[in-house]
Parts: sequence; structure tokens; C-alpha cells
Amino acid sequence: MTDHKIWDPFIRLFHWSLVAGFAANALILDDESKVHEWVGYAVVALVGLRLLWGFVGPLSARFASFFPSQTAVMEQIGDIATHRRRAHLGHSPLGALMIFNLLAVMLAIGVTGYMMTTDAYWGVEWVEEAHEMLVVWAEISVVLHIAAVVFESWRTGVNLPRAMITGKKSVPDDVRLAR
Amino acid sequence: MKQTVSSHPVTLVLLIAVQSFCAAFFLWDVASDLAPDGVRALAHLHLAIETGAALALLSAIVFEARYLMALLRRKAHLEEQVSIATGAFHDIILAHFDRWTLTPAERDVAMFAIKGFSVTETAELRGSAPGTVKAQLNAVYRKAGVSGRGALLGLLVDELLAGPLVEATPDRP
Repeated sequence: MTDHKIWDPFIRLFHWSLVAGFAANALILDDESKVHEWVGYAVVALVGLRLLWGFVGPLSARFASFFPSQTAVMEQIGDIATHRRRAHLGHSPLGALMIFNLLAVMLAIGVTGYMMTTDAYWGVEWVEEAHEMLVVWAEISVVLHIAAVVFESWRTGVNLPRAMITGKKSVPDDVRLAR
Repeated sequence: MKQTVSSHPVTLVLLIAVQSFCAAFFLWDVASDLAPDGVRALAHLHLAIETGAALALLSAIVFEARYLMALLRRKAHLEEQVSIATGAFHDIILAHFDRWTLTPAERDVAMFAIKGFSVTETAELRGSAPGTVKAQLNAVYRKAGVSGRGALLGLLVDELLAGPLVEATPDRP
């Protein structure tokens, strides 16, 4: 096992705060409540900070370092198909796709949610419907994300959930690293 | 050539992604239609067909995903075969050079000739006169007992096709 320090404290704090915020709003809090609104704004603010961090943060947090190319995505799918164990130190290409998807859908949920509070869009049906559809899409994405994390942890032998808590990826010695 | 091999799986991946999105939408739609009355709602023809269509789409996606995986495995296998073949051909060439007792300069010139460089190009790459290269090449052809470059290549390819490829497989890393 070789430890690699990958995720800085902000990334980890962001990840788990987003989990808490989204779970609270989607599953627990009353949709009509003021708390729901404030948690929503907090989530949007978090995503805003993450976007900023994607340009000024440490290397593994920068969008430029994990923006997925078509070749990289195909390589990862190829690895899965041929049972080649190759670990990525930062975000894997497919993981990066999911990250951009989640960031975008969180923002879209925030925007439609905010629109519902404005005079111009209050009670407008398509806004409400879009807000709900986006939440369903986010929930599907979260389930996929968790399933993929479990699968990739099993496939590459790197405990990904633990890495998101401790910030370190422990890569087994017989596993090669993808550039 | 490489383009056609690699772009095909990409199209398939995109297709699977789009279809998964559609399937997720339809399944969600069916689930919310079924929610009030439960499974009994399937008695409505429209809803039953909708459910069937969604499930059919889902099975198509599973089939495609499996096909994609098989395709990628096949591609990886072919690439491996090509690298084994490349390695095997290289081994055959070196073995022949040894057997013909070529000098280091002759080996180099012969390798350039096999790779398709002309006498002038080889001379330029090796920093020698074309006449020297020509003389060295003639020595190579004489030692190999062939009439020229075409015959030399033919001899080596013939050896490759004769079969040591399989024997070369296990001890290659």
C-alpha cells in the first residue's frame, strides 16, 4: 500500500456538506419551509466556492487537472471491460463526468428553487416541475455515484470513501497508476 | 484506420448514455403512474404497454453494455496480438542477422532497409556516403543469399507466417 495525499480539507468539507445539505432538503425538510430555502442557498454557495476552488485550489482540485477527454473516458471503460486494474490519483475520467453533472444539477436546482420565490415565477408550473424533475435527476445521479464509487473501490482496490474522509488514497502495490 | 476502430465504441457509449437517460425518465414516469393504484394499474392497456416499452428499452441497454464490453475486450486482445506480432517479427529479424553474421553497421543498414528507408535516407541518417550504404546493403543481400530488398523482406515475412508467433507468446512480458 502506498498512500497518496489527494483531497485537500476544503474538498472534503465541501463534499460532505453537500451530502448533508442535499439529503436534508430532498429527504427531510419540509419543501415549503424557510429552512428549505436557506439550506438551498447554502448548497448553491458551496457549489460556487467549489467552482472557484476549481480554478485557484491545489492541483487535484482544479478542473484543468481532471477535465475528462474522450480518450481517457474510453481508456477507463476499456480497463473495466478487460479487468485491468489501474487507479487514478485524482478524479477518474468517468468520476469527473459525474462531478460536472452533479455540480450543474445542484446549481440548476438552486436557480429554479430561487425562481419559485420571486414574484415573476411564483406559482408558475414549469418552474416547479423543472425543480422537481431536477431533484429526481440528482437523486438518480447520487445513487449512480455511490454505486460507481463502491464498484471502483472494489475494482481498483483503492478505498475511495475513506479517501474522501482522510484525504489519502491508499493504492495497493500491484495496482498501476493511470496518468 | 485507427480512427474507425476507436470511434465506434465512443458512439456506442454515447448511445448507451442517452438511452439510459431515456430509460430513467420512462421508468420514473411509469413508477409515478403506478404509485396511486399499485400493480393493479397495469390492467390499463396504455400503462401496461408503457411499462413493457420501458423494460424493453432497459434490456436493450443491458445488451448494448455487454456488447460494448465484449468489443473493448476484443480490441484490447487485438492490440496485444499486434504487439506480440511486432515483437516476434523483431526477434525473427535479429535471429537472422545473427545467423548471417552481419557487422554492426550492416545490421543497422539492413534494419533501415527493412523499415523502408531508401539508400539516400539511410546515408543521411547514418551520416555516411550513399556509396558506403549501397556497399553495406549489397553485403547484407550477399550474406542473406537474396537478390535485393524485396527478397529480403519476403524471406523474413515468410518466416513470420511459418509460425513462431505462437511459441513467442508465453515468454513475452
